[in-house]
Amino acid sequence: MLDRRAVLGGTGLLAFPAQAWSADKRRVINAMMTDEPAHLNYPLFNTRIMQEICGNINESLLLFDWQFKPHPNLARAFEMSPDGLTYTFHLRPDVLWHDGVKFTARDVAFSCGEILPQLNPRSRNAFSHIDRIETPDAYTAVFRLKEPFSAFLLSLMASSAPMMPAHIYQGTNFRTNPFNFKPIGTGPFKFAEWRRGQFIHLARNERYWRPGQPGMDGIYYRLCATPEQRLVAMESGAADFAMADDIDTVVNSRMVANPNVVARSDAFNGTGEISIMEMNQRRWPFSDRRFRAAFMHAIDRNFLVNAISFGLGKVATSPIPSNLPYYDEKAVVKYPFDPARARALLDEMGLKPKLGGVRHRFGIMMIPDGGGYWTRAAHYIKQAMSDVGLEVNLESTDWPTFSRRSGNWEFDVDCNSYGQYGDPAIGTARFFLSSNIRKGVPQSNIQGYNNPEVDELFHKAAVAVDPAEVQKHYSRLQYVLTRDVAMVWLYERKPMFFYNKRLKNVIMGPNGPADGFGATVLA
Amino acid sequence: MKLRYLVARLVKTVLVVIAVVLLSFFLIRLAPGDTATVMAGQAGFADEAFMKSLRAEYGLDQPVPVQLWKYLSTVAHGDLGSSFVRRQPVLDVILERLPNTLLLNGFALLVAIAGGVVMGMVAARKPGSAADAAMTMLSMVFYAMPQFWLGMMAMLVFSVWLGWLPPFGLETMGADYTGLARLGDIAVHMILPGVTLALFFLASYARLTRAAMIEVADQDFVKTARAKGLSERQVARRHILRNALMPLITYAGLQASILVGGSVLVENVFSWPGIGTLAYEAVQSRDNPLLLGILIVTATLVCLFNLITDIAYSIADPRVELS
Amino acid sequence: MELLRRFLSRPTTLFGLAIFLLIVAIALGAPFLFSRGPFSIVGMPLLPPGAPGLLAGSDVIGRDMAVGLAYGARISLLVGIASTICAVGIGVLLGAVAGYYGGWVDDLLMRVTEFFQIIPSFVLLMVLVAFMQPSLESTVIGIALVTWPQVARVVRGEFLSLRAREFVQAARVLGMRDGAIIFTQILPNALPPIVVVSSMMVGSAILTESALAFLGLGDPNLLSWGSMIGSSRSAMWVAWWTTVLPGLCIVITVLALNFIGDGLNDALNPRGKR
Repeated sequence: MLDRRAVLGGTGLLAFPAQAWSADKRRVINAMMTDEPAHLNYPLFNTRIMQEICGNINESLLLFDWQFKPHPNLARAFEMSPDGLTYTFHLRPDVLWHDGVKFTARDVAFSCGEILPQLNPRSRNAFSHIDRIETPDAYTAVFRLKEPFSAFLLSLMASSAPMMPAHIYQGTNFRTNPFNFKPIGTGPFKFAEWRRGQFIHLARNERYWRPGQPGMDGIYYRLCATPEQRLVAMESGAADFAMADDIDTVVNSRMVANPNVVARSDAFNGTGEISIMEMNQRRWPFSDRRFRAAFMHAIDRNFLVNAISFGLGKVATSPIPSNLPYYDEKAVVKYPFDPARARALLDEMGLKPKLGGVRHRFGIMMIPDGGGYWTRAAHYIKQAMSDVGLEVNLESTDWPTFSRRSGNWEFDVDCNSYGQYGDPAIGTARFFLSSNIRKGVPQSNIQGYNNPEVDELFHKAAVAVDPAEVQKHYSRLQYVLTRDVAMVWLYERKPMFFYNKRLKNVIMGPNGPADGFGATVLA
Repeated sequence: MKLRYLVARLVKTVLVVIAVVLLSFFLIRLAPGDTATVMAGQAGFADEAFMKSLRAEYGLDQPVPVQLWKYLSTVAHGDLGSSFVRRQPVLDVILERLPNTLLLNGFALLVAIAGGVVMGMVAARKPGSAADAAMTMLSMVFYAMPQFWLGMMAMLVFSVWLGWLPPFGLETMGADYTGLARLGDIAVHMILPGVTLALFFLASYARLTRAAMIEVADQDFVKTARAKGLSERQVARRHILRNALMPLITYAGLQASILVGGSVLVENVFSWPGIGTLAYEAVQSRDNPLLLGILIVTATLVCLFNLITDIAYSIADPRVELS
Repeated sequence: MELLRRFLSRPTTLFGLAIFLLIVAIALGAPFLFSRGPFSIVGMPLLPPGAPGLLAGSDVIGRDMAVGLAYGARISLLVGIASTICAVGIGVLLGAVAGYYGGWVDDLLMRVTEFFQIIPSFVLLMVLVAFMQPSLESTVIGIALVTWPQVARVVRGEFLSLRAREFVQAARVLGMRDGAIIFTQILPNALPPIVVVSSMMVGSAILTESALAFLGLGDPNLLSWGSMIGSSRSAMWVAWWTTVLPGLCIVITVLALNFIGDGLNDALNPRGKR
């Protein structure tokens, strides 16, 4: 038994019978959902599960490559005016919505002008630069901007701007429209069935505009509630894909060693996710920069990456991920792991150790992940804090409570993450702009960070046309934000995407699943 | 007489269910936040206006007695309301999962009784022997084990190390087996959780059987049977076992009545889609209508099982009277 | 003395007592046995037992399993004993009153205990703990609230049979108040079954606490054996010791307590069934 165990452990294979699918079943992609989405209205709820499912249903005007350069998608051609104020998109004339209606410029104007800004905070910020959208003919959409916006094209990337059908949604209450449960899009797969508690089934779009696609007959997203179940599903072949946090990083070694599985760490580059901690800067001592700096010095972020995330990730040194063009290592202020320095800063602040060596007590609101790596990270942080005399009370919550408390500023510190989505103007700005301090809205500037210089820098960077000028502003921003410890940046996440070797052409760009699986075929 | 007894018991069941509803209704109101908060959180924002409209839509802004009365009247019509979190009627969700729990517990009951009786008989044959002592010790060890840990150990050995049995779920995901193939698939998936659930009770059945058999072996009618010349085995089988039936029935009834609470842990470890996991999910997601519905259904089932047990009791031993 | 002799006569009882005392010693002596607390991270995660300096290996965050197991003993014992004391307190009070006065008071108590028997107690416990927010206090209170009926039933039974005895009549004749009779006359005589029930309850309270912690409904700031098993669900697939060792601790502790309970049962009920 020992030998077999060693072999099994080494190869990561499960000995019980792997799936022997019939020919029909082999042409279907088997994916998993960790829990059921509340609905399938993509702009309204832009979480990872939604991206994985709706990325196949709703498409965007442009497709982006690994260097984040735009290419035609629903827009067959596009140009920008020299002054950066006008963007013209020429749409493909042969695109049909899943219900047969033609896709036209009216849909573009509706999506970017009405439904997206109303429902999606990210879009609201990005499209606030738009003055108006003109549709001179059925297949031309002209965006007139108030001022140049360097990230405008990137704001049309994948999950940031999916096209929604005007003939379905215009004039209705977006939140209660019944098509939220049977979405209509232009993508390679269309909605077929939602069996509550079991699966969501997407079927092949026979009239898809891209020749030769989709390669597969359909996708099943089956509800698979625990990470261990998902691990077993991958190992036995019952599932073809495991995305991002589907499988706990603890068992990475097993997955990577599995000869039937391909492991990709670049599938979510487009999101550019950074794991962070947010502090309620309205409360003392979080309002004091020295406390925040001490907090950073007290955490060994290398340990977080190596031991908690089992090697997946990279220590973050800036609000911008290191693989993005605007990252400037020379500009950032670094906070290496230095508990002595942390203690000195706390002493300086007047937070001397009291009875029992405790300087201060506060709470950290944990992400409800049922004991997975977010919980482990929180436990490590608690430990690190106690080493410098700060006592942490870990607050376990559920998603509704987390949303409510963070949105209503009823917290001390929380754990979270944010995505860049291609450009700091799209992903990062929303957390630091004073204009985005809105009570009741989670995923906004809940910390209450308010720095007029930062507001101005973000604005200038967004409207600058010359790339060198943009870089100058973002470099200064990285300096100011890190100097102020405007947020606690832990590390850049590298969520893994595992897929079964029987399929290929699965990850075609930095947005991975959010670009849909139209190109996927049997290997 | 029997009929009056039955009616009395059924009336009692109804009263109990009403008490359950009352208790649960008020207990659940202790929770911070309400259904509107849950749904707002799901939708991704929590501004007051939206929550207010949600509350009005679902009648959550009515005074408590009104809500309670409304709920009681819908329950009386067999409608357990709607789960807002899952967007399905509560009764549908429960009925989907209930057969799985019944199946698992039924299987476990059979294994526990069969195994326990055999073990008990073996031990009772020679009280005080090494086999007897070993069996008692084994029982005590199983009794001291946390059920969820026992389940995880079984999974460790049979799934992680040996790879012989599937560790999770009711059936193979996505296989869509039908007929005999499906039954076989489910049976294979039922082995680990079923045996785990059974082992805990097996120990008790073994002790019961052993104790009952030893006690009965001394009684007059057995001595008579022996005097008549019946073999040991015949004596054991026919007389002793039959009279040891009573405590077995009692215990089986007890096991059935802890149906839901008893299988929460095992179902959770093996991700068995039953009422146990449903209750846990309902607690985690603050799905109050579902929680209430589960408590009502299980209380009703327990009362019914108790009734069946008592009737079985009286059939097994005519000396027992139902009153 | 006769009692003590009977108690110590069974080898299993002695064994149980020895183990239990050992565990108590480890629990109390944990701060002296180990230089760092259970939450201290000592190295890389998932190192096997026998790795340098790690008797029981390291857990999924890199904490010393041995230290965690020792401190976990404190939680288990604390919760087991505290919740039993609370449950016994409630149960004795209500059972005594019901058994002594009889009539409608008794009927009411019987209905209430029946009710508790019908509702699945673990589900009720989950609901209580979840809604009180998981913490040490809510665990102890929750367990006490779902287990007091067992004690109450036993106490009620004893009081029902004892209240008709001569010494109680005598006390009444002498003018003793009801309260005094209950607590100074009847209760001491009702103690033996209460003691036996309580000893078994400590063991099952430990099992219940570990189940709650396993499900994530325990105090998130404390490390208990159940929470160690709960956090090892994925880790088990690559590191068996994270699951096996805490469970063994639970089994040994509860077994020891059950042996002690059996011994007490023998000692206090010499005419009882074997």
